[in-house]
Amino acid sequence: MKRITAHPVLEVKARQEVDFTFDGLPVKGLEGEPVSSALFANGIKQFSIHKKDDAPQGIFCANGQCSQCSVIIDGMPLKSCVTPLRAGMDVRTLVHIPELPHDDEPCFLSRLETLKTDVVVIGGGPSGLTSAIELAKLGFDVTIVEDKEKLGGKLLLQTHKFFGSQEDSFAGTRGYEIAELLEKQIREFPNVTVLYETSVVGVYKDKKIGVYKNNGKYSIIDFEGLVISAGAREKSLVFPGNDLPGVYGAGAFQTLVNRDLVKASERVFIIGSGNVGLIAAYHALQAGISVVGIVDIMEKVSGYKVHADKIKRMGVPVYLNTTVLAAFGKEKIEKVTVAEVDDKWNPILTTARTYETDTLLIAAGLTPVDEFYDQALEFGFKAVKTGDADEIAEASSAMFGGRIAGLKMAKMLGKEIEIDRSFYEKAEILKSKPGIVFEPVPVIIKQNLTPVFQCFQEIPCNPCTTVCPKGCISLVGKFGNIMDTPTYTLDECTGCGLCVAVCPGLAVSLAKRIDEASAEVILPHEYLLSFAPGDMINVTDIDGNILEKAEVKHIRLNKKYRTHLVTVKMSLNNASKAIGIRVQDESVTKPCAETLLPELPDNGIVCRCERVTVKELVDFIKKFRVRDVNQLKQIRAGMGACGSKTCSVLYPRIFKQAGVDYYDVTGGTVRPVTVEVPMNSLIEGEVE
Amino acid sequence: MQKFDTVIIGAGSVGLPLSYYLSKKGQKVAVIEKEHSYGRGQNRAAIGGLRATHSDPAKIKICQMSIDILKKMEKDHGFEIDWLEGGYLYPIYEEAKETALKELLVKQKNYGLDIDWISPEEIRELVPGINMNGLRGGTFSPHDGSASPLKTAGAYYILSLDAGTTFFFDEEVEEFSKEGGKLISVKTDKRVISADVFINAAGGNAKEIGAMCGLDLPVYPDSHEAGVTEPVKYFFKPMVVDLRSDNQSANFYYYQNEGGQIIFCVTPEPKILGKDCDNTSEFLPLITRRIVDIHPRLKNIRVRRTWRGLYPMTPDGFPIVGRPKDIENMFLAVGMCGQGFMLGPGLGKIISEIIADKTNKYNFILDELSLYRQFEGNEMLK
Repeated sequence: MKRITAHPVLEVKARQEVDFTFDGLPVKGLEGEPVSSALFANGIKQFSIHKKDDAPQGIFCANGQCSQCSVIIDGMPLKSCVTPLRAGMDVRTLVHIPELPHDDEPCFLSRLETLKTDVVVIGGGPSGLTSAIELAKLGFDVTIVEDKEKLGGKLLLQTHKFFGSQEDSFAGTRGYEIAELLEKQIREFPNVTVLYETSVVGVYKDKKIGVYKNNGKYSIIDFEGLVISAGAREKSLVFPGNDLPGVYGAGAFQTLVNRDLVKASERVFIIGSGNVGLIAAYHALQAGISVVGIVDIMEKVSGYKVHADKIKRMGVPVYLNTTVLAAFGKEKIEKVTVAEVDDKWNPILTTARTYETDTLLIAAGLTPVDEFYDQALEFGFKAVKTGDADEIAEASSAMFGGRIAGLKMAKMLGKEIEIDRSFYEKAEILKSKPGIVFEPVPVIIKQNLTPVFQCFQEIPCNPCTTVCPKGCISLVGKFGNIMDTPTYTLDECTGCGLCVAVCPGLAVSLAKRIDEASAEVILPHEYLLSFAPGDMINVTDIDGNILEKAEVKHIRLNKKYRTHLVTVKMSLNNASKAIGIRVQDESVTKPCAETLLPELPDNGIVCRCERVTVKELVDFIKKFRVRDVNQLKQIRAGMGACGSKTCSVLYPRIFKQAGVDYYDVTGGTVRPVTVEVPMNSLIEGEVE
Repeated sequence: MQKFDTVIIGAGSVGLPLSYYLSKKGQKVAVIEKEHSYGRGQNRAAIGGLRATHSDPAKIKICQMSIDILKKMEKDHGFEIDWLEGGYLYPIYEEAKETALKELLVKQKNYGLDIDWISPEEIRELVPGINMNGLRGGTFSPHDGSASPLKTAGAYYILSLDAGTTFFFDEEVEEFSKEGGKLISVKTDKRVISADVFINAAGGNAKEIGAMCGLDLPVYPDSHEAGVTEPVKYFFKPMVVDLRSDNQSANFYYYQNEGGQIIFCVTPEPKILGKDCDNTSEFLPLITRRIVDIHPRLKNIRVRRTWRGLYPMTPDGFPIVGRPKDIENMFLAVGMCGQGFMLGPGLGKIISEIIADKTNKYNFILDELSLYRQFEGNEMLK
């Protein structure tokens, strides 16, 4: 079984194992886990065979959005990523389109439930929860509609420590722990109702929303105000082979690995060096999965420098100015070819190289899920949007933004309150993009332990300053806020190591001089231990260069921050540069001897549901002089189950390729239903 | 000022075929469309039903022509439009409806329609899983069918462009200039165009265009709601029309299209008058109850999308086609009552012959669908 049995951060709980069948063969899974995760744990990555060309289909979003993971469960086509596994389930590959069961019994009629509430919060992630808390405090009746079985949204997938500040956004605490804290707060309010495993089906003009409650019954909610905190969806990327099973979103990977503890891959390759891509690499390594490399077409890492540094230290190369040319494989991805790009972003084929990989993660950015907001505004409802649904940013900023959104909604509903002006300032700071990178300043190692910072980029983060019991660390810089970088300003360090343990970027060490040649350095380490005192380990600098083999003197675990503090003895010369311990062997990052190039560069899939390629779209746009996204439905683009959520983001580029300025193109229309709902759950009727 | 032989207002289900047939006859044709591209009015909301099964000679003739044209669209012009000859089925559960339909059947056969009364068992063969409880039989017309309105519009657009039609998109008609009993030119927000003939094919906006020429057209849009499901293996062929009504809806109909998706549409009761096409919460629970009632097997199918579209209705449910008395060079092709897609191709061909060839062989249609009729009847199969 491909399960994660030990994890440096996450607790691996024992769960009830159950038997089920896949295509008639007996397999085992864990009770209640999504069917998709159970299949992955059995090494099954192909879920369906597409009607158009018999292509194998795998998971893409693992988030209930895209429908690509549909399988037949007990005779019914269902999205496996949101269907909990039960003992005895008969799971089958969905071949082409399903056959409707020959069940001709009349349907039981019942009255639809109509719920009434002051405010519906769509999405129980970081921003939704904090806005619900603010509204509940002010006495409003709040209903949170959450499509998963637990509150927390993407916080639940985040095993790393958070940036930001401790007072405003739980900095230093891990995402899934923040989710627990917020859920606990929510439970304290009797005026907050949470509808779990419930998706919004539509926002209607008669000031109602329809929800698919507990993935089983359609219900109507009557409301006064709407908070849209539905998060974001991952962008797709177009290249040949982008549809192979094993090519999917970085968020889906985090779901499989961190939420469901499935060892989804042995060797992963990542496209995109934003925080999502970088963290995915880090999470992979923590789960014992090799990371072959990360590519980004940009010339700079787009995520936080400390994140990138962190994974470089572990032995993961980040290739900039580099794009993916194609993925290769028969029934699932086996290889990926990348190449450097010139200043016009055209690939330089002489630089192409091929890597072996079983999983290719797309971390090409996110788009807000804000269509409910647009609809609500169109209908003149009182509505606010917050979190990623409003603007893509870190969860720390989403939590703060959610509070403001809650207060705004309270004002809209007539509550006479003032929103503290400092809130807006803080919100702005928390969502700041990384600022400039400073040159390292030479550090002299003292006789007593003192912190050494490898934190040179302006980012919104300060837990090292608030955690120090002596107040030795201050942020210094032009901002005068948490965007500034840390400096050791008061020489009273006791060597407690809290700053080392709390730092989300793992960018703080403690060092002291032992004698003229050697020093003792305390390094943070968030991995399962593969060494013990007395062993020699590879210690690296900020960029991942191995400085020397150093002797492990002592290891202790800081339980609160779940971080090992590893004391090594090393040469004095290198002590101020030491910051990481190499975990991945260089050999996994080597390219294959032979480079594969795609035969048809334009056969990348744009509409994943209906498998429409770039070439088909470009040819059609030209032939039919298309100036309206709706017309693309003639070749079925955007007609699939996902409701054009994935492909619509890609259309501007496609139209450009066809020689059409996207400004001259009418966009698609968003209509109910946003998730497919079976007829028998929608029926309203009197019981006879 | 640009000068054309004919100007058509509206690039929809009616205007597109008409523009093609006129251009093909050598006319210099312009189409003015207020939307950004073709088929953005009600064509995009149409569900694709094509039937000659009507209750009057004019519509039967027009739709027979439409079916004949669309059936051969791929062969004649190379455009795949998803034509599917599944037939139309009217299953009957009420005695009064049986009597009425059987009376109509005699007329329909006289007008040359291939239609017959079939037994409940025959209906079950055609529509496996249909509710047999109280089913009395029904009429079935095997040569009716369906096609994709979007693809059909796309095909006519390209055909029309290639035949020489000029399209002015994103242009709203502002006024007409008139001299005596004749229109001289039409002014949009971007230009003035003169022409010999002006055709109102403005669908849901026909009344407003009419008013600009001083005509009071009895065309009143109301909205119907439609939806589509996920695809499932093909298992029934005909369009099923349920003529019954309940306290929230009049008739409704559904069929399984070429890709396996089930498309359905209901006529709300009371009517939702006006042009508002925003969805309300009432539709889904209502339509699913009706569908699952007549066809319980559909209870497990998942609904994928819903939408609303306009039926530009006339008081008697029949279209208005022809020249108004006071404006000699205006032609009306309006009030299609939700059947613009099935009437469009045939009507386009007929009107092009009337205008370009000055034929009088379709006078029976012009008489029946005249603006000056009494509007007293009531189309039974609207």
